Amino acid sequence: MKSFFKGIGVFVLLVALHYSVRPLLGTRISVDFLVIAVLLAAVHVRPGVAALIGFATGLIADSLTPLSFGAGALALSAMGSAASWLKAAVFGDNRVLQAIFFAAGKLAFDIVYLVAERRLGLGDLLVQLFVWSPLSALATGLAGVLVVFVFRISMESRP
Amino acid sequence: MARATRSGTRVDKVVLAACLVASLLALVLPASARQSVAGDIRETLVGPLIALQVQAERARGAFVARDISAARLDSLVLRNAELRDMELENVRLRALLGLGARLRTGFVAAEALHRPELGDAHTVLVTAGARAGVVERSAVVAPEGLIGTVIGVEQESSIALLWTHPEFRVSAMSADGRVFGIIGPHLGRGAGRFLLELQGVAFRDSLAAGTEIRSSGLGSVFPRGIPIGTVVSDITTPGGYARTYLVRPVVMPADVTVVMVLLPATANLESAWKAPAADSLQRAIGRAADSLARAARRDTVPGDSTRRRP
Repeated sequence: MKSFFKGIGVFVLLVALHYSVRPLLGTRISVDFLVIAVLLAAVHVRPGVAALIGFATGLIADSLTPLSFGAGALALSAMGSAASWLKAAVFGDNRVLQAIFFAAGKLAFDIVYLVAERRLGLGDLLVQLFVWSPLSALATGLAGVLVVFVFRISMESRP
Repeated sequence: MARATRSGTRVDKVVLAACLVASLLALVLPASARQSVAGDIRETLVGPLIALQVQAERARGAFVARDISAARLDSLVLRNAELRDMELENVRLRALLGLGARLRTGFVAAEALHRPELGDAHTVLVTAGARAGVVERSAVVAPEGLIGTVIGVEQESSIALLWTHPEFRVSAMSADGRVFGIIGPHLGRGAGRFLLELQGVAFRDSLAAGTEIRSSGLGSVFPRGIPIGTVVSDITTPGGYARTYLVRPVVMPADVTVVMVLLPATANLESAWKAPAADSLQRAIGRAADSLARAARRDTVPGDSTRRRP
């Protein structure tokens, strides 16, 4: 029960960081705290619940970007559910694997989001996917490992 | 046990499918419905998060302002050598501050929050909503000129569509009111994407580079007289039936953090963006001095009359 409340606390903190630290940095290569939050939750819940968490988080993010409303929810629910299904294959306390897990999650999110949103032209989309998204994924991966380390979150999957 | 696992997996798949379908439905909803749902979420759940973002952007602004302050201090130190530059800057700041005074009423000042998210680079969140009198299609301006238009309004906030959006249009004219056309974003590549196009100009009309372009007020969405940009060059394609001009915008939305939302009653703003002439300033100062003198006389006359009364 203690770890449950700790998990909720970390989730809320990460959502808050997304809207406080991220605008503060204001760079194009940014840490996606929402992706980290959803991935951390996905490790500890069933795929269906992970999809619901991703969907709700995505709707919150989408409410600030009404022209692409639904794209964030789609990307986060798909990513959360996939992460929950794949968790058994990825885990342990290996920091490198954890970083790859978070980075891959961010990359998957960006791909689904950008394609669903249909705002960018082909050229801009390729630049975003092959330049900015991998760099943001790298930053997100490192930040994810830092969050796991600081809050001593277990990355062992639960049945 | 195996059946329970299979059943659980099936439930997971159903929930995932429901989430995906709901997301796809949200993506294809009509714009008004999307605005409405997004607005409801923004006004309830996301309110505290927006407040957080406002604080964060103010903090970032403070970091940037610190550098600006340092630069101004340097300017003061070099004042004697750079007096001319300072005078020019003074004029510019007076122009910025003067806009609000010239408009007097019919506008709401607000902060424009740019979001560093992947999508939606063509909108900003404006921290004034229906409670402040903002309505849909209100023009959003900076002291330099037009930025966009309001497309969604909530009680405390609204969403503004920037001129960079491919579907943004505004009826425009040359500053002298001689040539009319429609302004839209120039959908070019590289640096060209930060320019505008004046389309649909009649072939008999021509515009010289540097001609100022303003909103014409036709269509009643944007008030007449808001500066939009200056003509760069003629980019009319051979065989076209109307002229098209490349226009350099007077303001880049990404640089703007404070905006004014013009309320619907505002009709003609040509005078708001004209610099006050020196004689009009002298007249204004004279009027202020006269009124002060009248007020002083009003205060002193009763005492005097009492003393003079026999």
